[in-house]
Amino acid sequence: MSLTVDKPVPEQPAGRAAAGTGRRRWRPSVGRSIVIVLVGLFGVWTLWPMYWMLSTALKSAKEATNLSPTVWPHTITGANFHELFGGTLPFSTYLVNSVLTSLIAAAVAVLISTLAGYSFSRGGYRLTSAASLVVLATQMLPLVVFIGPLYLLLLRAHLLNTYLGLIIGYTTFAIPFGAWMMKGFFDAIPREIEESARVDGYSRLGILFRVVVPLSVPGLVTTGVFVFMNSWNNLLYPLTLVSSNSRQTLPPGLLQSFSGTFKTDWGGMMAASLITSLPLVIAFFLVQRSMVRGLTAGALAGT
Amino acid sequence: MAAITLTGVEKRFGETRALRETDLEIDDHEFLVLVGPSGSGKTTLLRLVAGLETLTGGEIYFGDTRVTDVDVGDRDIAMVFQNYGLYPHMSVYRNMAFGLRRRGLGKQVIDLKVRQTADLLHIGHLLDRKPRQLSGGQRQRVALGRAIVRDPAVFLLDEPLSNLDAHLRVQMRAEILKVHRAVTATALYVTHDQVEAMTMGDRIAVMNEGVIHQLGTPDELYDRPADSFVAGFIGTPPMGFLTCERIREAGTEQLRAAGARFRLPPETVTALPPGASRLVIGVRPEHLRLVPPAEAEAAGCALQGVVEVVEPLGSEQHVLVAMGGSAITAKLPRDQRLNRDDKVAFTVSPDHLHVFDPESGRALR
Ligand SMILES: Nc1ncnc2c1ncn2[C@@H]1O[C@H](COP(=O)(O)OP(=O)(O)O)[C@@H](O)[C@H]1O
Ligand SMILES: [Mg+2]
Repeated sequence: MSLTVDKPVPEQPAGRAAAGTGRRRWRPSVGRSIVIVLVGLFGVWTLWPMYWMLSTALKSAKEATNLSPTVWPHTITGANFHELFGGTLPFSTYLVNSVLTSLIAAAVAVLISTLAGYSFSRGGYRLTSAASLVVLATQMLPLVVFIGPLYLLLLRAHLLNTYLGLIIGYTTFAIPFGAWMMKGFFDAIPREIEESARVDGYSRLGILFRVVVPLSVPGLVTTGVFVFMNSWNNLLYPLTLVSSNSRQTLPPGLLQSFSGTFKTDWGGMMAASLITSLPLVIAFFLVQRSMVRGLTAGALAGT
Repeated sequence: MAAITLTGVEKRFGETRALRETDLEIDDHEFLVLVGPSGSGKTTLLRLVAGLETLTGGEIYFGDTRVTDVDVGDRDIAMVFQNYGLYPHMSVYRNMAFGLRRRGLGKQVIDLKVRQTADLLHIGHLLDRKPRQLSGGQRQRVALGRAIVRDPAVFLLDEPLSNLDAHLRVQMRAEILKVHRAVTATALYVTHDQVEAMTMGDRIAVMNEGVIHQLGTPDELYDRPADSFVAGFIGTPPMGFLTCERIREAGTEQLRAAGARFRLPPETVTALPPGASRLVIGVRPEHLRLVPPAEAEAAGCALQGVVEVVEPLGSEQHVLVAMGGSAITAKLPRDQRLNRDDKVAFTVSPDHLHVFDPESGRALR
C-alpha cells in the first residue's frame, strides 16, 4: 500500500466546544436565601439522628443515660466499641456473617444479572419481553410473601442456618432487580458497537465481556452496591432462615440485643448501629457518582 | 476472489417488506453504490450482505461460495457504520487491532499493519487517543482504518460521510476511492446523496421502497434512466416532468401540455406504444435553452411560462418556471438576467427529451 492521500484539514476535537462556557456569577437574592435556609433545615432534620448516634456511641454509659442529655460527649470514650468486640454479645460474628453473605450475594447477583440483563436487552428471542415482564412482576410482590416458600425450599435442601441459604435468599430478590437495572445500561449501548465486534469476528460472549461489560462498569458497580445494601439491610430473611446465633447477621442480631444486652446500654447500642451503618455510608460515597450517572444512563446518546 | 451475487434476496420485518425479491451481481473489485431516499431499504440490503440480518428469502454468494447461512465473523467482510460504531473504551490503536487479534495474528504483524494503515489515513499521531477525544472527521478515518486494516474481501459502507460537514465530505469522497483502489476489495457503498453516488460509483443501483429500479454506470443512469423515479432522483436540480396529451394531425405527432409543445421526430414516435393517449415528458434543467418567444414559436419543441423563483448559484442560476398547473426548473448561465414574473420561452432538442408511461413510470425512450 504505497499511496498518499491528501492531508486532512485540521479540525477541533468535538469535545472541546462545550467546555468553553464559563459558570454564571453567583449573586445573592431573596429566592436563593430561602432555598438555602430550607436546604439547611432539611439537612439538620436528616443528619441529626446520625449525629446523635455518633455522639452517644462516644459517651460513657453514665453520660449517655444522664437525665439531662448532653449534645456532644463531654468525655470521649472508646469503651462502647471496645465492649462490642470483647463483650458477651457475638457482635464480631454478626459482622463477619453480614460482610460475607452480602458481598457474595452482590457478586453472584452482578454476574447473573449481567447475563440476564444482556439477554433481555439484546436477546431478540420470542419470549424476551414476556420473560422480562414476569421477572419485573416479582418486584411488585412484597418481600414477605417469598418467606414461606423460600423457607420450605431451604428446609428440604437442608440449607437453613447456612450462608448458602441466606445468599440464595438475598439473590432471589436482587437478581430480578439487578437484571432490569443492567438491561437499562445495556440498552444505552449503541447497537453498532456490538455489531462492529461481530464483524471483527467475536462471539456473543466475547462481545459481552470485551466490549459490553467494560462499557457498563458504572452499571456493574451500581448494581453491586444496590444488592450489597439490600442484603446488608435485610432483616426478614436472616430472621426467618437462620436461627443459630453463630450464623446470624447484624440486623436481627442487633434487634435481639436491643431488648437484651442493650436494654440499658445506649452507648453500646449506638456503637453497634454506627458500625452497622458505616459500610453503607462508605459504599454510597464510593459509588454515588457512577450511581447518579447510572440512573440517568440512556438519557443522552454517547453517555 | 469475491464477486457478490444476490438471487431473489428478500427481507421482511413483520409486515414491512424492507427488501423485495432482489437479484444483484457485484463484480470483484467493483465499487458499487446503493443510492435511494431514506427508508428505501439500502441499509437492509447492506446488512444482509454483511450477515447482520437473516434473509427471509433468497441466497447470497461470495464468489462461488454460498454465504447465506455463514456467520458475520466468518464472511471476511468489513463494515463502516453510519455512526462509526467505534469501541469507546479502546484507544485508536486497539480499535484497529481488535479484529486482527481475534484472527490470532502475532503482535508484530498487528503492529505493522495498524501503523501502515494509520499512516495511509493520516491518523498515525492519534493512535493513543480514545474515540471521544477525536473530531468527527478523525473518527471517520479511524472507522475506515479499522475496516481496511483487516484486508477484507468485501468492504461495506453505510452512509459513512453523512455525519461530516460538506467540505470534509468532498475531501473524504476522494480519499475513500483512493483507499479502495489501494485495498482492491469489492466495495458496496450506501448513500442517500445522488451526487456522492454519481462521483464515486463504478456502477450505481438506485433503490426505492425495497426495489432496485436501475443498475448502471453513472452515465447510463443520467442518459437513459429506466423509469421516472430514477430520472427524477439522479441529477440536480431534478428533471422536470410534464404530463402531455398526444395529438396526431397531418401525419405528424405532437405532445402538448399547458405552455408546452413537443413535435416528435418520426423515429421517436415509432418507439411509443400506439394506443397511449397521454405520456409524460421529462426534461433536464440543463437541456433547456432560453430563447426569444418568436424563436420558440418556430421551434419543434418549445416551452413557455412565468418565472417563479430565481436561485443564483455563482456560476449559474436555477430558475423555477410555472407552466399551467406544473412547474419545471431550468439551469441557465448567469448572464441571462431574469426576474420574478418575467415571461420566458425555452427550446429543447428532441434528442434530450425523455418519455415515460404515465401509469407505470417506465421509460419509453
Ligand atoms: N429492524 C427493523 N425492524 C422493523 N423494520 C425495519 C427494521 N429495519 C428497517 N426496517 C424498515 O425497513 C425499511 C427499510 O429500511 P432501511 O433499510 O433502514 O432503509 P434506508 O437505509 O434506505 O434508509 C424501512 O421502512 C424501515 O422502517
Ligand atoms: Mg440507512
